[in-house]
Amino acid sequence: MMTGQFEEQERLLEEAKSVVQAQALQMKRCLDKNKFMESLKHASNMLNELRTSILSPKNYYELYISITDELRYLELYLLDEFEKGRQINDLYELVQYAGNIVPRLYLLITVGLVYIKSNPSLKRDLLKDLVEMCRGVQHPLRGLFLRNYLLQCTRNVLPDTPEENGDDSEGTVRDSIDFVLMNFAEMNKLWVRMQHQGHSRDKERREKEREELRILVGTNLVRLSQLESITLKKYRKVVLPGILEQIVSCRDPIAQEYLMECIIQVFPDEFHLSTLSMFLKSCEELHPGVNVKNIIILMIDRLANYTQHNEDSESLQLFDIFSDQISSILQCRVDMPPEDKVSLQVALMNLALKCYSDRIDFVDKVLQTTIDIFTKLKIEKFIIEITNKQIYFRVGYKSAVSRELCRLMKLPVDYFNNILTILELKHYRNVMECFDYTGRKTLALYLINNVLNTRTFIPTQELVEQVLTMISSLIEDQSDQPIIEEDPEDFAEEQALVARFIHLLKSEIADQQYLILSTARKHLIVGGNKRIYYTLPPLVFQAYQLALKYSSLSEEDELWQKKCQKIFQFSHQTIMALVKAEQAELPLRLFLQGVLTIGQINFENHETVAYEFLSQAFSLYEDEISESKCQLAAITLIIGVFEKLSCFGEENAEPVRTQCALAASKLLKKPDQCRAVATCSHLFWSGKMNTNEQLRDGKRVLDCLKKGVRIANQCMDNSVQVQLFIELLNYYIFFFERGDEYVTIEMLNQLISKIRDELANLENNEETQQISKHFNNTLSHLRNRMETGDEVLNYEGLIL
Amino acid sequence: MSTKKKVLLKVIILGDSGVGKTSLMNQYVNKKFSGGYKATIGADFLTKDVMVDDRIVTMQIWDTAGQERFQSLGVAFYRGADCCVLVFDVSLPSTFKSLDSWRDEFLVQASPRDPENFPFVVLGNKIDLENRTIQSKRAQQWCQNKNNIPYFETSAKEAINVEQAFQTIAKNALAQESDQDIYNEFPDQIKLPGDNKLNNSDAGCSC
Repeated sequence: MMTGQFEEQERLLEEAKSVVQAQALQMKRCLDKNKFMESLKHASNMLNELRTSILSPKNYYELYISITDELRYLELYLLDEFEKGRQINDLYELVQYAGNIVPRLYLLITVGLVYIKSNPSLKRDLLKDLVEMCRGVQHPLRGLFLRNYLLQCTRNVLPDTPEENGDDSEGTVRDSIDFVLMNFAEMNKLWVRMQHQGHSRDKERREKEREELRILVGTNLVRLSQLESITLKKYRKVVLPGILEQIVSCRDPIAQEYLMECIIQVFPDEFHLSTLSMFLKSCEELHPGVNVKNIIILMIDRLANYTQHNEDSESLQLFDIFSDQISSILQCRVDMPPEDKVSLQVALMNLALKCYSDRIDFVDKVLQTTIDIFTKLKIEKFIIEITNKQIYFRVGYKSAVSRELCRLMKLPVDYFNNILTILELKHYRNVMECFDYTGRKTLALYLINNVLNTRTFIPTQELVEQVLTMISSLIEDQSDQPIIEEDPEDFAEEQALVARFIHLLKSEIADQQYLILSTARKHLIVGGNKRIYYTLPPLVFQAYQLALKYSSLSEEDELWQKKCQKIFQFSHQTIMALVKAEQAELPLRLFLQGVLTIGQINFENHETVAYEFLSQAFSLYEDEISESKCQLAAITLIIGVFEKLSCFGEENAEPVRTQCALAASKLLKKPDQCRAVATCSHLFWSGKMNTNEQLRDGKRVLDCLKKGVRIANQCMDNSVQVQLFIELLNYYIFFFERGDEYVTIEMLNQLISKIRDELANLENNEETQQISKHFNNTLSHLRNRMETGDEVLNYEGLIL
Repeated sequence: MSTKKKVLLKVIILGDSGVGKTSLMNQYVNKKFSGGYKATIGADFLTKDVMVDDRIVTMQIWDTAGQERFQSLGVAFYRGADCCVLVFDVSLPSTFKSLDSWRDEFLVQASPRDPENFPFVVLGNKIDLENRTIQSKRAQQWCQNKNNIPYFETSAKEAINVEQAFQTIAKNALAQESDQDIYNEFPDQIKLPGDNKLNNSDAGCSC
């Protein structure tokens, strides 16, 4: 059916075009031979093809173009004749006798134009005459094209002199305005009438055809915009009111929407600036089916661009005008979809940011209007939710409204690139409350990403309070949170961002920083076990940094010692919150990190505090960590930290050392025991006293190593056993080289020969090769030492 | 071809929205320039008489809408063009990149008899601006690769090179027109008396 129709159209067009071609050729031949009357006959035959009512607008246009191209030759001939002195007025009479009205009017316009060119004093009357006579064709399609032809032909001759100093007969710009406005009104009527002709089932096709034909109507507006004598004043007083009157009164949504857009497009910015209120008032009066939002946004965007690039026009109260008119449009268009209402606010926001970068109050006004929109919606639609006795209207995520609202909220973030400015806005937070849980969270993430990308510090506790409240959807459970657990990976990623963000809660002033951390903890601690795992550690690290800062301020701040103690109390409480949340590994490490920090700061009472932190770490080790691998890792860390410390007096240090050795020997698996016990040996050598001297207790070092060998001997797996022996050999060598007198060459020889024997018994595989390599490397180290013949290190008697 | 015959040339100006098509035409025809942007809707022409090689020719210059949605009736007016002017804005790379598609679109829609040798002219407009991004060399390169299209750098605002460019346009259009006329002078078919009978008899063999 459709393709059949299409082919039929093609055929009809081809037929018509071949008639045109043949008649045009005849016409031109007659013109060459100066047979004018005959050429007119052929022209009329050719124009007859435009009487068709079967062709679609596009095909009719193609036919129209091919015919009017040919009419150009007739026009040229006539102009030539006129130059030679032929009387034109009889031609004007002559063509009026052409049989049918369509060809007659096309010829009349063609000749009339030559007539005007030959006798400009008739211009004014002839123009009036022509535009009136075109009323003779009332078929919409034919009429529209005929008037388009009129508009095209008269383009060069429209009077364009100012009214004051014009000639009466040649006309002034006023006559041109009247001429075009009348043509415009008539074309618009024809165009609108199309909507109401034919069967209702063809409505869709008819509307498509109307959309295609719209440029013909719009060309009238283009013509007006081309008249240079139209001053701003004339535009405001005559032209725009004339156009708007026609648009508003036609009550046709397609025409109204298109023509309003046309006005915006074809007239220059200066004209729009000074007639803005008039234009926007007309928007209020448009048919309810018109998408007013698009029209207004187009205008705002155009003027925002213009104002941005022309600074002198900034004094104009663009924002106020738009803002007032938009709210009045919102009032009379109750049925406008909420997303469209928000889109308008987006455009306003754009305007405010682009043209009035120093006016935060404008941004705030847009946000406030947005809240008003939702307050109204809540009342109208009763979509409410009761939370903490407050009533909220929540915008569903992924809804069109949410999308627009999100655009609105992101604009100032991107524009200012400074969260502190966003916090200055009074209504930003309230608009955020309009989103549902997912919407709020998405926006909160957008905000903190911006803070991270711009590395903006939040420098006071008040601001920290505000910002954490604003992003509370990331910080604590929400009343409207869905019950289904979210994807753990997404959650981890999101909370890791929050953790990075916490590092930016920072002031240069130490006392201020303490208040910031306290405020932050107040918010973060209610985040629940899952969140604090991510959010508290950065807080603890920030606290340790602050303690170090106070230590560096010891000469300026006489209260620094008390403050340090307070900070470690704060840290202690914070870590205990993690313990309560049934974490063990993490708090253990945080305590150890704390011990290391305390070790660097010599404040009053620091030994007690350090001891408390260390013993907390120990209790966690003993009570909470049960997996053997984790135990080995933890005890190794504890030993490592303790080895570094010099803050303990002997009465505190000795029990810890013993405790470490004891814990090491109590590990479940023999290899773990062996390694941990061997590690303990360091405590008795390089472990420090509170005088910062190393302990160097060679005997107890050896005790540890011997115990290690005993445990290794109990090991059942031969490979592991040999591996352990080699590791122990390295310990022996290490302490021998450090000068531990209790370690002898004899011991080394024994261990080496034992390893040799055992190694020979091992099955040859990849693991054994690794072990041999370790052993050989150890031996070549010794060989190297012997060859260099160090005087202090005497390896005499060593058997390799 | 009779020397008496009036010569009418059809020239189409194409290019992205805002490159200055209307301004170039206004500068050439009316010697005027206005700074404010006014979009063009549909297609519209101005005429101007020019001297080319001692002949007066009437040039019909079609200014077109750069935005596709303002061309809702299609581009039937491309047909019968004698020259096509492609315009870009030297400060906007995207408008230069569009030249290819404008040229292709024109050749498809206008379907000239000899697309390889159809005369185009390229204008790099707005050279009065400071933030120029497309250098002459790049534009010239493009034109060379397209069968040596003449290239002009213009400013409709300052009236730089506009006259010269349109003179070349007129000259090349005239050369094209003269070629085409050879075809146009003859009618489509020559009808001989008696032919009708022969063609219309569909009753089998006619011998």
